[in-house]
Amino acid sequence: MSSAASVPHSAHVQEHAHADSGKFHLFVQIAMLLGIITGVEIVIIYLPLAKWLIVTSLSVLSLVKFLYVIFYFMHLKFDKLFCTILFFIGLVLASGTAAALLAIFSAKDSIPETAKVIYAERAAAAATAQ
Amino acid sequence: MSAHAGTIDHHHDHTTTTGIPNKKLFMWAFLASDCMFFAALISTHVIYRLHPTPDSPDVTKIFSIELTSFSTFILLMSSLLMALAVGASQKGKVEATRKMILGTIFFGLIFLGCQVYEFTHFVHLGLTLSSSMFGATFYTLTGTHGVHVAIGVVWLVLTYIRTFKPANAGKAWVVRAVVQFTAFAVATVAMMVVMLAVTHAGAENGYDLSALVHGIEHSAAASIVLAVSCAVLVGLSRSSWAVDFGEANAIDVEGMGLYWHFVDIVWIIIFTVVYLLEYL
Repeated sequence: MSSAASVPHSAHVQEHAHADSGKFHLFVQIAMLLGIITGVEIVIIYLPLAKWLIVTSLSVLSLVKFLYVIFYFMHLKFDKLFCTILFFIGLVLASGTAAALLAIFSAKDSIPETAKVIYAERAAAAATAQ
Repeated sequence: MSAHAGTIDHHHDHTTTTGIPNKKLFMWAFLASDCMFFAALISTHVIYRLHPTPDSPDVTKIFSIELTSFSTFILLMSSLLMALAVGASQKGKVEATRKMILGTIFFGLIFLGCQVYEFTHFVHLGLTLSSSMFGATFYTLTGTHGVHVAIGVVWLVLTYIRTFKPANAGKAWVVRAVVQFTAFAVATVAMMVVMLAVTHAGAENGYDLSALVHGIEHSAAASIVLAVSCAVLVGLSRSSWAVDFGEANAIDVEGMGLYWHFVDIVWIIIFTVVYLLEYL
């Protein structure tokens, strides 16, 4: 009886050990990939490419790193969907706030008149000093 | 991937209506709110970089892309160790959890050391919190991130100490825990002092073995304190008793891991937006 029970038990243990080993290798591979992407990012900024292309490449690579960390290291891929929704609510609100701020402050009218005077005075003083 | 899902999902707490432990739910909600906090800081920095004030310095002459890249790599690797620590705790492997947490602490301290060195270097070059708008937004953003890392390190140390709690804990354990935490704090400060002394000696005379010797000589007291506190930590890291830490505590380690990984993803954005984009 005991030997019959130990067979499925050892199979279960082996399956668990295999899954653990697989997860370990997956995490190590992702970490190596993140390191390589960081290296690529550093090389890209020195390449003689169009500015828009470099900015786009850096944004995409950062996004890839970001997604790998949240979905694998932070287990979102394996967790309940509710965790992903909860985090993405904050992320969307944060991105929206950032986009709105950048849009607002891109408008020339958003710069206060007093600040314009101060900036002009400083620029003139810097030019005189040079 | 579905094979891995089975190894993680069994930690879900079925006593809650969502099936997700309250601690984990709280942590995700907190991280979502922290996203907005960092978005405000990053936006402020970017706005002033797009509309620079006349007193803005030439940052490419101040930044050290090598140092920042190194600290970025260190933080990414600390995330790997943190993920492994969470995995080990979920399997009830206390010894492996301790080792991975210690590794994460070590990498976190290296990152903080790099930031301390970077800030010191910038201040020597004249970039302070009040020297320019760039200084104000840069130090506020990276300093806030650094504080998050420091809080993460303290949390990791506390969790590491918690793994030694005996099954029949008495007052003696509290005293032991306080001594262990104090030794960690003293060792950290002493290590920072020694590392800064070695780095400055290296910057003046070149990075070789003599720089290491000079640095240690200049910080002899700190080196002795570091050695003593490390000896205390090694002595206290041995436990032969049954501990009150196992698979049931995995959710605590997981919550801490979520926080640590969040600090990592914030740095991924800061590294690109604040540092790399300046070189275009």
